[in-house]
Amino acid sequence: MTDKYKLKTWQELPLGGVITEGGNAADYETGTWRTARPVWCSEHCIHCLNCWVFCPEEAYKLSDGQTRSGKPRKEICEIDYYHCKGCGLCVAECPVNKKGDAVAIEFVHEES
Amino acid sequence: MPITKAITGNGALAEAMRQINPDVVPAFPITPSTQVIEEFAQFVANGEVDTEMITVESEHSAMSACLGASVAGGRVMTATSSCGLALMWEMLYVAASMRQPIVLSLVNRALTGPINIHCDHGESMGARDAGWIQIYAENNQEAYDNLIMASSIAEHGDVRLPLMVCMDGFIISHAVETMQVEDDEQVRDFVGEHTPVHSLLDTDNPVSWGALDLQNYYIEHKRGQMAAIENAPAVIADVSQRFGQAFGRSYELFESYRLEDADRVIVAINSIAGEIKEAVDTLREQGEKVGLLKIRVFRPFPYEEIRDALRNARVVTVLDRSTSMGAYGPLFAEIRTALYDLEERPLVYDRVFGLGGRELFPEDIVEIFAESRRYLEEGKVEKVFDILGVRGD
Repeated sequence: MTDKYKLKTWQELPLGGVITEGGNAADYETGTWRTARPVWCSEHCIHCLNCWVFCPEEAYKLSDGQTRSGKPRKEICEIDYYHCKGCGLCVAECPVNKKGDAVAIEFVHEES
Repeated sequence: MPITKAITGNGALAEAMRQINPDVVPAFPITPSTQVIEEFAQFVANGEVDTEMITVESEHSAMSACLGASVAGGRVMTATSSCGLALMWEMLYVAASMRQPIVLSLVNRALTGPINIHCDHGESMGARDAGWIQIYAENNQEAYDNLIMASSIAEHGDVRLPLMVCMDGFIISHAVETMQVEDDEQVRDFVGEHTPVHSLLDTDNPVSWGALDLQNYYIEHKRGQMAAIENAPAVIADVSQRFGQAFGRSYELFESYRLEDADRVIVAINSIAGEIKEAVDTLREQGEKVGLLKIRVFRPFPYEEIRDALRNARVVTVLDRSTSMGAYGPLFAEIRTALYDLEERPLVYDRVFGLGGRELFPEDIVEIFAESRRYLEEGKVEKVFDILGVRGD
């Protein structure tokens, strides 16, 4: 990512390989694992947040929005491809996709 | 007040543990170390220590619990023997790589099979590559003294490694000898407070221990571990000197017994050294220049110091109380390696003895010296490797 992940010498390592920073899994680019990519289609999305719930990498990003009647709610706004590893769980769990009339999350082959 | 007490080797180790008062002792009993834990459990039951004692269902669990308690910031001790150490194997390496200063009393016993409960050094020699510091003791006094020094060595900032204090099963563990038990307060002062490093219970500074480490970092972590154990001799020397000042018994990395002008030397580990000293004294009275080099610290191995100590010897007999099937004994391999750099090397050969607790008597030692005398006169070694006292040619 940055110099933070430049390979260190043995003298620079913490005692016994202890990890002293929490939450550092976020720095790991699992996006490189992807062979297929989910593509979110905002016009078909009903913002049920199933994809957000099932995503193992927390790649679905939320924003503040509102329902048609004006109640505040969270909405899907984008997919973080740095972390999305293309597992396809979101594609499989999307109720719009399941219903079959439209595709809210398309699964396309990753361009190599 | 220090007192002179008639006590078994196991009792001496339990006594040292009582005085050290560790935070956590997870343990599973195994002959011949059982009594260490048994006596210590009584101290816990009587409220003589504040230790949290965890009775676990196996030695694998015992060392796992040691590891957990240690990364949680506790001073941790346990005891085992033979197959108990074998069942800890996986965790021994984890403890060393995670740099946890766990202190283990190892009462040496042969490994199964055939099943046997008596002394040899098979299990500790097998564990020599695990990354633990290994300190050996000839008798109950030395075992007690080594255990009191153990925490200060293991927990030292330059080292931070687990340490095992090794003592011979039954020969020492179950034999009563008089020794000096030091004053409780003085021992506690010497051992000092335990300062946790990256404790898991320090919730203000959360850490992860034991993460996966692949091709890009494993070797760097191992290099750090090597550096830690390379620092150990200086720390051991320092702690041993401080111990000498406090209690009047001083220790080196190894003991040189009538070595200065000796032309024939036996190198050995643990209780057999007592009999060798007796034989050395007898032969010295007859004008023979014989001596003993008794190993105390086997890991890290003090190659240079031992090479210097054996510089003037002309024949070196190594007594190995364990065997590495298909290879020379582990002590011999180290000693011969240490001597290789000398321009004029002494003759050196290996004798395996005492497997499974087979006795070796002072007259046998005299015979060993007779053989080394022959080799000295002939200027060559007839048999580099042999097993003493085995029936059949």
